[in-house]
Amino acid sequence: MTGYAAPIRRLIQELSRFPGVGEKTATRLALHILTAAEEDARRLAESIIEVKQKIRLCPICFNLTDKERCDICRDATRDKEAICVVSDPDSLVAVEESGSFQGTYHVLHGLLSPIDGIGPESLRLQELLDRISHDSVREVILATNPSVQGESTALLIAKLLHDKDITITRIALGVPVGGDLKYTDKMTMAKAIEFRRGM
Amino acid sequence: MTKGHRRTTYKTTGFVLRFIDYGESDRIVTFYTNDYGKVKGIAKGARRSKKRFANAIELFSCSTIIFSKKPRQELVLIENCDVINHYPDIRTDLEKTLTASYLIELIDQFTVEGKRNLQLFRLLKDFLELINNSDYSEEIIRFFEIRLLKHTGYEPVLERCIVCNMPIDRTENPFFNPKNGGIQCVKCRHNDFSFIPVSIGTVKMLLMGKEIEIDRIHRLILSKKSLKESREILGSFIRHTLGKELKSLQVLNQIKRMTVQS
Ligand SMILES: [Zn+2]
Ligand SMILES: [Zn+2]
Repeated sequence: MTGYAAPIRRLIQELSRFPGVGEKTATRLALHILTAAEEDARRLAESIIEVKQKIRLCPICFNLTDKERCDICRDATRDKEAICVVSDPDSLVAVEESGSFQGTYHVLHGLLSPIDGIGPESLRLQELLDRISHDSVREVILATNPSVQGESTALLIAKLLHDKDITITRIALGVPVGGDLKYTDKMTMAKAIEFRRGM
Repeated sequence: MTKGHRRTTYKTTGFVLRFIDYGESDRIVTFYTNDYGKVKGIAKGARRSKKRFANAIELFSCSTIIFSKKPRQELVLIENCDVINHYPDIRTDLEKTLTASYLIELIDQFTVEGKRNLQLFRLLKDFLELINNSDYSEEIIRFFEIRLLKHTGYEPVLERCIVCNMPIDRTENPFFNPKNGGIQCVKCRHNDFSFIPVSIGTVKMLLMGKEIEIDRIHRLILSKKSLKESREILGSFIRHTLGKELKSLQVLNQIKRMTVQS
């Protein structure tokens, strides 16, 4: 890398901080940006700034949004009494794309992971409990990954909601043990929602 | 540079201690294996490939692992994993999952990579099976701790006073000193009040729990007082030995606070 001029080195360094990007890939990306039209490079830089400035968390469901409230929470046709709990915005998109869910969401922004020190206080869990105690909620669907972290998070939420008059269900069929909702195809996801089981 | 480029392939059995997602679909995994102790490697495409990994890279699941390694390479390449046991009864129980998480964190913290310890491997295997197949009990955690300390060379001295060698039976009001890793009789305590008072009964139960055959371990039931004392003795000693509080214990306490509230 020492053969490159300082500004290029700096760009490579910045890019190699992305998840899964090593120095080799970072160098390739940097050289691509270098040879791209100035306009393209500017658009990229601007879109990074824009995302940082405009995107925030919806105060109701904690999904990413550029508005006061996210599109789903603002949509009057969505069933506000059914909440689908997901670990992150990626999973929300996976469930949403299956087209089989008409309720609203709650994004936890993580899953329990004791060995990494991630406990309930590191998640948007209290916010979910608050929401349930204030609003009228009929069903909570726990759509966390079928991994140890996803299962234990679902078990904890089920335990915390146990004495409430709410149907608690867990996505079921199709998503294999240890699988990731992100990589689950639409059909499987739709089935997993349809055949959710009580908890 | 001509020598040492060759990959060697290994086959072993191991438990997943931890993993992090890496890149688009890879995982960096730490296993505790039968033949090579702690092994850290990269499983390329682990989140996508059902063929090579079949969802084996899950916390505390046990699989047959094939990995390859170049000399002096830090991460091995995990080629293939075949699940032997997912421990389904642990995964579907919050308390058991939290317990198992604590056990694997202990194993992770008390070991270094590439050092084989068959007793430790057996210990983890026996206790995961125990947790999976029986009801939760706090005793199991304490007996795991004392056995882990024994197999890693940190066994505390419980049989006698660590200073004057007075057998525990003959001491009155013995104390446990986490800094020295042993019992001290009241005479040898001098005026240090940081020591933890312990009863002889508790110590005897821990000594039994350390040695008893695994299939008889359920016969050892500790009184409430002994459970509390054991938790304090072993907890303080482990904290002192590692120089920190384990993360899974902190999470466990958060969850306890939360579930008591509701
Ligand atoms: Zn929203
Ligand atoms: Zn003494």
